[in-house]
Amino acid sequence: MNTALVIAAKDLRHRLRDRSAIVLGFIAPVLVAALMSFAFSSVEAFHADIAFVDNDHGQIAVALRTALTSRELSDVLSIESVGSEQQAGKLVDDGDVGAGLVIPAGFSAAAVGDEPVGLTVLGSPDNPLEAQVAKAVADAYVAQLNADRLSVHTALAAGVPAGRTAELAKAVAGLRLPESVEARATGYRQLTTASYYAPAMGIMFVLFAIGFTAHSFFAEQRGGTLERISAAPIGRGGVLLGKSLAAFVYSVASLTSLAVVSSLAFDAQWGPPLPAAALILAMSAALVALTALVIAVSRTERQADGIAMMITFALLLLGGNFVLISQAPDLLRKLALLTPNGWALRGFTDLATGAAATAALAPALVILGMAALVGLLAGVIGRWRAAS
Amino acid sequence: MTALAVAAASLRRMLRDRTALFFVVLLPVLVIAIIGTVVHNPGGFRIGVLAGQAAGPALATSLVDDLGAAGPVEFQTDEQAARTALRRGELDAVVLVPVDLEATLLRGDDVVIPVLAGGAESTQSAVRSAVSAAVARHAERVQAAAFAARRTNSSVAEQLPRATALQRVTPRISVSTENVASGSDYLPLGFGYSAPTMLVLFVFINALAGGATVVQTRQLGIYSRALAAPVRARDLVFGETLSYLTFALLQSALIIGTGSLLFGVSWGNLPAAIALVVTWALVGTGAGMLSGAVFKTPDQASAIGPVVGIAFAMLGGCMWPLEIVPETVRTVGHATPHAWAVDAWITLLSRAGGLADIATDLAVLAGFAAGMLGLAAVLLRRRLSS
Repeated sequence: MNTALVIAAKDLRHRLRDRSAIVLGFIAPVLVAALMSFAFSSVEAFHADIAFVDNDHGQIAVALRTALTSRELSDVLSIESVGSEQQAGKLVDDGDVGAGLVIPAGFSAAAVGDEPVGLTVLGSPDNPLEAQVAKAVADAYVAQLNADRLSVHTALAAGVPAGRTAELAKAVAGLRLPESVEARATGYRQLTTASYYAPAMGIMFVLFAIGFTAHSFFAEQRGGTLERISAAPIGRGGVLLGKSLAAFVYSVASLTSLAVVSSLAFDAQWGPPLPAAALILAMSAALVALTALVIAVSRTERQADGIAMMITFALLLLGGNFVLISQAPDLLRKLALLTPNGWALRGFTDLATGAAATAALAPALVILGMAALVGLLAGVIGRWRAAS
Repeated sequence: MTALAVAAASLRRMLRDRTALFFVVLLPVLVIAIIGTVVHNPGGFRIGVLAGQAAGPALATSLVDDLGAAGPVEFQTDEQAARTALRRGELDAVVLVPVDLEATLLRGDDVVIPVLAGGAESTQSAVRSAVSAAVARHAERVQAAAFAARRTNSSVAEQLPRATALQRVTPRISVSTENVASGSDYLPLGFGYSAPTMLVLFVFINALAGGATVVQTRQLGIYSRALAAPVRARDLVFGETLSYLTFALLQSALIIGTGSLLFGVSWGNLPAAIALVVTWALVGTGAGMLSGAVFKTPDQASAIGPVVGIAFAMLGGCMWPLEIVPETVRTVGHATPHAWAVDAWITLLSRAGGLADIATDLAVLAGFAAGMLGLAAVLLRRRLSS
């Protein structure tokens, strides 16, 4: 055990002397997390500025404008009155407002007639949400008018004499839609960009260490260091254990430092320390197992580099380190759960959004299970290769 | 002639490296496929509804049908599963259709439908408005049926089919959306977004990482030995540059080809696209040669190169649109050549621009290429001659 510790300490010293390991393990993840949280800092708040064109000036148009400027909508949108549709279109095209809403001439009069006139939302593909909100708010408002029109038509069709149409029109004026929605609190924290991408980038840079460790193993083999060590009374197991321990400690240190720095500096949520640590430890164990597998299947430094990079990128792409996996189609989300990093990100997402600490248990166990399987595979291949 | 021989030899060496081919051929295609699939327009908001409710009474079923107007409806096994999916961001909203919806509405009473909206704050208000609009459409015919029932002394249930049929044919006050934008400041969604941005990213990163081979050749003393022959340092540098340029052009051609054939990406105005691809290949060549001149060991070049490449790609708008970032981040981003290249692709693909429209971007990129190539040539020649 002592031998393993000495080898681990030596390996770590060696690695920390290499500036590129410091850059990859400690500086790059923080820089990338910083970049991402700065880049997305303005995306997470929303307010739509709507250019309002009233070519009608009728009663309903005025009521619609009043509804749009009501207090409950003031957080979501602001209304700016504009003289003409062309002017509103230009403001939308230039990006000065998010969308436009045009009330055509004769709208109020036609709303109660047989041939109603529609409203137009002016939108731009660059601000789809603003146009969607403008349309939905206008839709919700005209829904009452449409319901009233439909009520009169249905009553007439149900047998009320046509001579009483005026009376029906008057009666529906006081009706309210019988179904409404009520926003309920979700009871969890919103997943921010920093909270997803800090662990995602941290894991990405840690996975790059697979290549480094495997590379250094073959470099030592080529340089005869391993052979000289085996002349000493040290078992092969001790050497491997030492090297694994070094890779494990490097990974834990890298992820932990990123967790601390990104939580303090960019408000990334890694969840309570204990479950977050469990995920970091499990992920680091998986890293060791993957490194062992690369060493077991490679024969030279170059092979190790190549295989490590391919495994790393395959895991990163599938696991969702490059994309917000929740936005991906169901199939990609399922594929992500074939990777240890995919499970780690799921665990960190759960912790970041305020799920119970036990939410990290299943991901941590699955990652450890995967690590055990990969480690076993590496052992079998290693023995088989040594025998052949 | 010597330069051509050097270029051919270097190129053969690059193409023989199977690991490099993974990064040049397979990885860009995979990344384009995955990012293109994720960054797409889902056609509205993803609304979660509990499966039990959807298969229940007719009014609940028809409400779920109406919710389809707000976006794809996904059925969840139970409320807990729905809440978890919402928390993880796999749904944009969960609509909890009350169990007694049908009974209450048929009695002529009002119903309040709880909605949990998820996603970033930016989407929450939008998703709530969209769900409200869909629910209102359902409520229109329930109100009409209840009104007709009261007027004719019949039941809501009797009048509902009539109201539903009439809703389809009665002229309504519509709200239509008109696109007034003359062009977009974003790349098209899907593969139209991922292919050009990843072209910019990979040509640059692979060139940077490829600097490792120049460092290795330098370390092994191959250049020094070559210089013992009647070969000028200038020819060696020029030859290496030529091989990098060819490599960058081959990689670009591959991404453009697979983008068009596999993913149906349109690359815009042909002469302008060719000019942009060639100029960007020159920028990549400059970066690769500079990395070959600056780094001391091949490991440094292959470890730090990709990190620099990824950081530049993030700053320059390859990982997310620069339109969404704060003004200062956008300005800083334009210190990287990537931002100018992505700007040019936006002009070509989203505003149907031509050569004249991207002239400024091309000039800046040519400046970057000339600056890096010049610096690399001076440094390399100095290293080779010393």
